[in-house]
Amino acid sequence: MDSFAMARPEPRRLSRRQFGILGTQLAGALVALALGIPIIGFLLSPLFRRQTYVERMVGDISSVPEREPTKFEVAFPQNAWPVPEVKQAVYVVKVNGQTRVLSNVCSHMQCPVRWETALRQFLCPCHGGLYDITGQNVGGPPPKPLPEYVHRIDGTTLYIENRFTEDI
Amino acid sequence: MGGWVGSAYNWFDERTSMRSLLRKGLYEAVPVRGAWFYTLGSATLVLILLQLITGIFLTLLYVPSVKEAWESLNYVQQHDAFGSIVRGIHLWSAYILLFVIGLHMVRTFFSGSYKRPRELNWVTGVGLFVLVLGMAITGAFLPWDQAAYWTAVVVTNIPAYTPFVGPFLRALWRGGDAVGPVTLSRTFGIHIWLLPAILFPLIGAHLALLRKHGEFGSYVNYRGAYRSREGVDVPPAPPQRPIEPPYPATPSDELWAAPLETEDFYPYQTFKDGIVSAGLVLLIFALAVAIGAPLEATADPATTSYTPVPQWFYLPLDQLLVLVPKQLIPLVLVLPTGGVLLMLALPFIDRGSERNPFERPAVMVPGAFAVLFVVILTLLGSGRLFNL
Amino acid sequence: MSPLIAVVTPIFHLLATELPRTAPQGSNSVAARAAIGSLFSLHILIAGLISGAGEIGPAIEWLGYMRQRRRYDRLAHGLGRFITVYFSFSSFIAILLITVLLVGLWGHFWTTMVTIAWWPLFIEAWSFVLQVTLAYLWYYTWDPLRNFKGLHMAIGGLLAIASFIQVYMIDIVASYMLTPTNPNNPIRLALNPTSYPLTVHRTVGNLAYIGFAFGGFCAIKYLRARTAEDKAFYDWGGSFGLLWGVAMTLLQPVIGYSYAKEIQLHTYGSWYKMMRGTLSTVFLWQMTLLGVMFLVATFYFARRLRTDEARGAGLLKAMSVGMVLTTLLAAMPYHLAFTYDQVLAAGLNKPFWDGGLINPLGAMIPWKVLALMAYTLIAIAAVVWYLRGLPGVIWGTARRGEQRLLMLMTVLTMAMIVTMAYIRENGRAPDLIAGQMQIQGQQDVSQPHPSPAPASSP
Repeated sequence: MDSFAMARPEPRRLSRRQFGILGTQLAGALVALALGIPIIGFLLSPLFRRQTYVERMVGDISSVPEREPTKFEVAFPQNAWPVPEVKQAVYVVKVNGQTRVLSNVCSHMQCPVRWETALRQFLCPCHGGLYDITGQNVGGPPPKPLPEYVHRIDGTTLYIENRFTEDI
Repeated sequence: MGGWVGSAYNWFDERTSMRSLLRKGLYEAVPVRGAWFYTLGSATLVLILLQLITGIFLTLLYVPSVKEAWESLNYVQQHDAFGSIVRGIHLWSAYILLFVIGLHMVRTFFSGSYKRPRELNWVTGVGLFVLVLGMAITGAFLPWDQAAYWTAVVVTNIPAYTPFVGPFLRALWRGGDAVGPVTLSRTFGIHIWLLPAILFPLIGAHLALLRKHGEFGSYVNYRGAYRSREGVDVPPAPPQRPIEPPYPATPSDELWAAPLETEDFYPYQTFKDGIVSAGLVLLIFALAVAIGAPLEATADPATTSYTPVPQWFYLPLDQLLVLVPKQLIPLVLVLPTGGVLLMLALPFIDRGSERNPFERPAVMVPGAFAVLFVVILTLLGSGRLFNL
Repeated sequence: MSPLIAVVTPIFHLLATELPRTAPQGSNSVAARAAIGSLFSLHILIAGLISGAGEIGPAIEWLGYMRQRRRYDRLAHGLGRFITVYFSFSSFIAILLITVLLVGLWGHFWTTMVTIAWWPLFIEAWSFVLQVTLAYLWYYTWDPLRNFKGLHMAIGGLLAIASFIQVYMIDIVASYMLTPTNPNNPIRLALNPTSYPLTVHRTVGNLAYIGFAFGGFCAIKYLRARTAEDKAFYDWGGSFGLLWGVAMTLLQPVIGYSYAKEIQLHTYGSWYKMMRGTLSTVFLWQMTLLGVMFLVATFYFARRLRTDEARGAGLLKAMSVGMVLTTLLAAMPYHLAFTYDQVLAAGLNKPFWDGGLINPLGAMIPWKVLALMAYTLIAIAAVVWYLRGLPGVIWGTARRGEQRLLMLMTVLTMAMIVTMAYIRENGRAPDLIAGQMQIQGQQDVSQPHPSPAPASSP
């Protein structure tokens, strides 16, 4: 080929074969998008659902003895069907002049923690985690203290919200 | 075949090629020696199919709702003896399946059946193992009794320790921050549709690859390849039979291409497969009738008296959760993930052609260590369970 | 006849009136504890070998049968001879302990223990009978059954099972002493919190110990060997024993940690004594000893490969260096005083660079745990690389240095066993059955379980 032919490039023509390939790919991409966007959106939607925080009354805490964690059960609404409310356990502890409102959700694997009178500590039965009377993690694998509920005390009545002072 | 049966058969065969399909399926050559060990693979398949069938029938009675899951199963336990047995078969078959799939994996590891050209067979097998474990764990959530609920809480909490994306993964599975109705619905869907939709095609691929390359068997079937070392008396190699399908006409590896002696799959191997599978199914049936599937009290998120106890196949991980100190908790994720990755990489790490397990200690010793590590963690965990 | 009766009757009368009517209440004297302690240690040092040999011997014979190599058979035969020669001595010490010392000095404790753990001791006695019968049978039918290897190996297999059951049963008794549970429930008795950890620990330990022991024995025999065949055999035997011992010891960190965890959860006082109290320096010595054992093994692997210029020697030398660093990490003390209570009493509960008596790098969590994991990882890599380099090794060419390392390994293992026995028994002291019976007096003093740590400890 002589140099003059190089100066004028051939116009590119879409062959029938290439058109078929492109069309197939485009159709596939459209179907994938039409399916994918709703499905992925649906899977991820609970993460973006705004959590509504409500306050519930726990009860009269004047009869809770000093240094003796007492369990209360509080019902909170859940953001789903079929039961409108689900119960959570709350431990009210009066120690060193403070009143602490602790959840019994273990900071290790979220097993149900219970107060053991013989040990004078909170024990998680799953993996042997121990928390002292203020909820501080003192033994075993739990990496953080027991979560505390956001609460307010009106006279001798305790009210808590369905959220913790720190995210778990 | 004569008469009208023969002509009916011919009519079908012309339209479906049934005859050649059957011949290909039934009369393939399998190695002669060690055949009882090869029954573990077919036993795994039979148990998975048993799970599929009992699972389908369980969906006729189970309702995947936090209120009605326990109620529906409790109703069956109280009023339907046969339904209870189906539930029992589903549970015990799951437990025994996990045991048999472990044995099958150890057998293929031991015999070197993951080596060239069967690497992808092993890789699909590891995928199947992980999927079966996933099925077992997601199935454990479904009764929504105390045991199921707290298993759901702890198991969905494990991915939360993944760096950066941990809480996101946990919320993805739970459908929110806490375990609730969305978790049950999602897990139910994963258990009956999502995982099986990946599992069954993968089983198809696993079996197709097996058929393509043929059953490797054990090194004892390839005695002609036995190389001599000092002080060893090597028996003379018997004359080689002509290579039969599925073993390749042009082998990639001269020494381990085709076994010396083979027999037909049907009826010799199918007989052994049948005995082992039937024995296991009878055992499962006996356990289902005698012990059945337990159903504890209905789930109570506010309990302070219940002690969550893990499923037996989950004990090694649970014992790790007990032992690993709080500063090193991500190790609980690293060890199983690393283990699965090592398993997947095995055919690419051990690339030598030696198949005799006693001649490749550099692979056997770490493998035995890994198996013993898991077994010992299970033993230590089970000892702990009795003292809770 | 009547003079005989006249002499014998007063003697019987004297015995009947002067001897105590019930088992003596028990002596806590140093002499009694030293006698029992040293005899028990001697018993365990030999009995561990016998149980280990009963388990590993048949395995080696089977391995030799599968690999078609005579040296495995020769090694297993040697182990069989060891069992038959030393079994009687080990049992003599055990009988001496039980009948003379335990019944004589600690009679009340022993009768209580037999009452509580009757069926484990009964099964143990019968498995002991089975073990000795099978051991002699296995050894003496070696030649007669040489053409019926399957049957011979079956006898060996039964011997291994009997050896294991014997260890399991006596471990039920030993673990009950540390973590007693409900004695009326046989399942709770057998599965008391430290039963499985102790049994798994001792079974794996016995297998490791016999490996290191015959490794050391082969080292001595290698140095005295005259023929080339003997030299090759003892060289290989030493390497094989060490490999086997290290492979088993690889499992011990996780088992030992789990054992300590159960002790922490169920007899906190003993755990505190071991980790923070009067036994904490001994525990530190134990951690260091474990590191030194792994280090000696890695060093042997590196040296043996270098002797024959096999590939992998350089990498193993690098692993030895890694092992040295890990051992240094594990050997760091946490409290720079004899016990942690002394640190608290002095009010110096802060890092030494702040003027205190604490070395944070010596903390069990996470530093010593990381050191344990590093031991395991480096040691398993060393074993794998050694196995990969073995085809390049010519048996019979080892130098004296390798043999010295093997003998050192045997001594280190024995030191480890005695150290752990010391920690165990003194950790539980002054109790014989934790929380229920003390050595002095040996009356039942059942107490509630010791309470866990106060909130101020980290």
